[in-house]
Amino acid sequence: MQALLSFEQAPPLSAPLRFFLSAPLFAVLAGLLLLWSGPELFASRWTPAALALTHLISAGFMLQVMIGALFQILPVVAGANLARPRLVAKLVHSTTVLGTLLLAAGFLGRPPLAFELAVFFLAGGLALFVVAAGRALYGVPSTSPTIRGLKLALFGLAVTVLIGALLAATIGGWLALPVVKMTSVHFGWGFVGWGVVLLAAVALVVVPMFQMTPPYPPWFSRHFCRATPIVLSVWSIAEMADHQASLAWLSGAVVLVAVAFAGATLSLQRRSKRARFDATQRLWCVAMLCVLAACLLWLLAAVLPGLAEWPQWPLLFGVLILSGGFMSVMIGMLYKIVPFLIWLHLQNLGGGRVMAPNMNKVIAGQRIDRQTLAHFASLALLLAASAWPEWFTYPAGIALLMANAWLLLNLLAAVAFYRQQRSKIEALRPAMVSG
Amino acid sequence: MHEITDLMSRNHRSCDDHLVAVEQAVTRGSWEEATTAFGRFRDALLYHFAAEESLLFPLFEQSTGIFRGPTQVMRGEHLQLRQLLAAAESALAEKDADDYAGTAETLLIMMQQHNVKEENVLYPMCDQQLADRLAELLPELRRQLEEHQEGPPS
Repeated sequence: MQALLSFEQAPPLSAPLRFFLSAPLFAVLAGLLLLWSGPELFASRWTPAALALTHLISAGFMLQVMIGALFQILPVVAGANLARPRLVAKLVHSTTVLGTLLLAAGFLGRPPLAFELAVFFLAGGLALFVVAAGRALYGVPSTSPTIRGLKLALFGLAVTVLIGALLAATIGGWLALPVVKMTSVHFGWGFVGWGVVLLAAVALVVVPMFQMTPPYPPWFSRHFCRATPIVLSVWSIAEMADHQASLAWLSGAVVLVAVAFAGATLSLQRRSKRARFDATQRLWCVAMLCVLAACLLWLLAAVLPGLAEWPQWPLLFGVLILSGGFMSVMIGMLYKIVPFLIWLHLQNLGGGRVMAPNMNKVIAGQRIDRQTLAHFASLALLLAASAWPEWFTYPAGIALLMANAWLLLNLLAAVAFYRQQRSKIEALRPAMVSG
Repeated sequence: MHEITDLMSRNHRSCDDHLVAVEQAVTRGSWEEATTAFGRFRDALLYHFAAEESLLFPLFEQSTGIFRGPTQVMRGEHLQLRQLLAAAESALAEKDADDYAGTAETLLIMMQQHNVKEENVLYPMCDQQLADRLAELLPELRRQLEEHQEGPPS
């Protein structure tokens, strides 16, 4: 019955927006880091700069968008409003921003206590979010695969943070755990158990409803989000126990989970009834193609020893997943969520007497299209840089920086539009009251 | 146990199809066809709202005693959707493709997030609360939803 009551208050606009506006800043920092460290960053996935870059994108850009979106999605999809959203958003936002910055600094070897503080802030902020979201979802029946998927994604986030904290404690010398194996498990839970499960749970609703496609096939919607954490758990145990015989098959199964999601989504998109293929659909499509390409690369590296020995393939894989897969989808989602939320809040402010300008007026279509191209250019250059670092690292750094500064400008333009329209409505209010 | 959810969700999808038909006609520049298709969409949506507001919601409210809960929020969203319908209709009358595209996109997202709330939360509750009324409720809901094929609601 909790869900019955929570429909009543929509979360304040500032709750998701503060996360969305911070996300591009982390990618801008990642661009600066590329320029500062130069081609050395791409020497291996274990260089301090590569680890810092990965976390600026994953714990920075991605996490901010995902948490901001959940503030909005949980009430809509599950009727589960987070209690005291303004306060929780402020606390989670400030701690995760600070924690991610300290984590990146920690990888780069500066301030001595950076790692410890990063874990304190990041794990603390995320624990608060998981508890707040878990409380909102507690008692909400899983009437749809999406609600179940959201619950399981939160579980995936909790596991990722826990293993991340253990890793940081190991690097800091507090614990003696196998770092390489635990990094794989942390990566698996972060990208698949949290990232792909959350994305799939949301896609089950968003793709058919907004891109006007048939629904996901029943086998997928019924089993995907449930099966993924099970496959991941078995794989994690095999990884930690170093059970080589089953490990190859189990990691293959984890990769197939991602293939199933990307393949199902692409096949639906091909049957979209929308008359125009807009920026968001293009971004989704490129994202799914990148996920498939990353999985293909992984499978090839598993069977071709020549490729497996090439030190650049894990970096290429990482760029395909991070910039190509997750960032593309998230930019596409931001371009729908932010204009719609601004329209909705303006419409509520106008009280039905002043009609808010439609959402396409919030960020001009041309600005969205051009920034999308800039993102694709940065993706292409990052891919080239991971294969040929000496040639492409600096152009890739500049492109990443510019594409995300542009994204930030587009989001700020939306906020400026909101403020301008709000003052218009407020100026009309005395007339509305007396009329 | 999912009869209400299934019936009402199917009707949501059929409204979606009508809206897509308008978009396709506008993109082709066939304004006359778009206007006819929009009429079908508007009628289907308004009949859906009418069936909920006059039949399903009052029954839910009576059986749970909750009058200021989700049904009230849904009625508020119906009002916003009616305003968007009017704005889209006037953009169509003025043959303003950009204004129509923007208003229709807003309408689509507003409508779909409204539908998600109903399909995931409210309808399953109706299925649970109104299980013993299904025999009379379902045929009546069906009749009201199908009426739009005969003429627009008042």
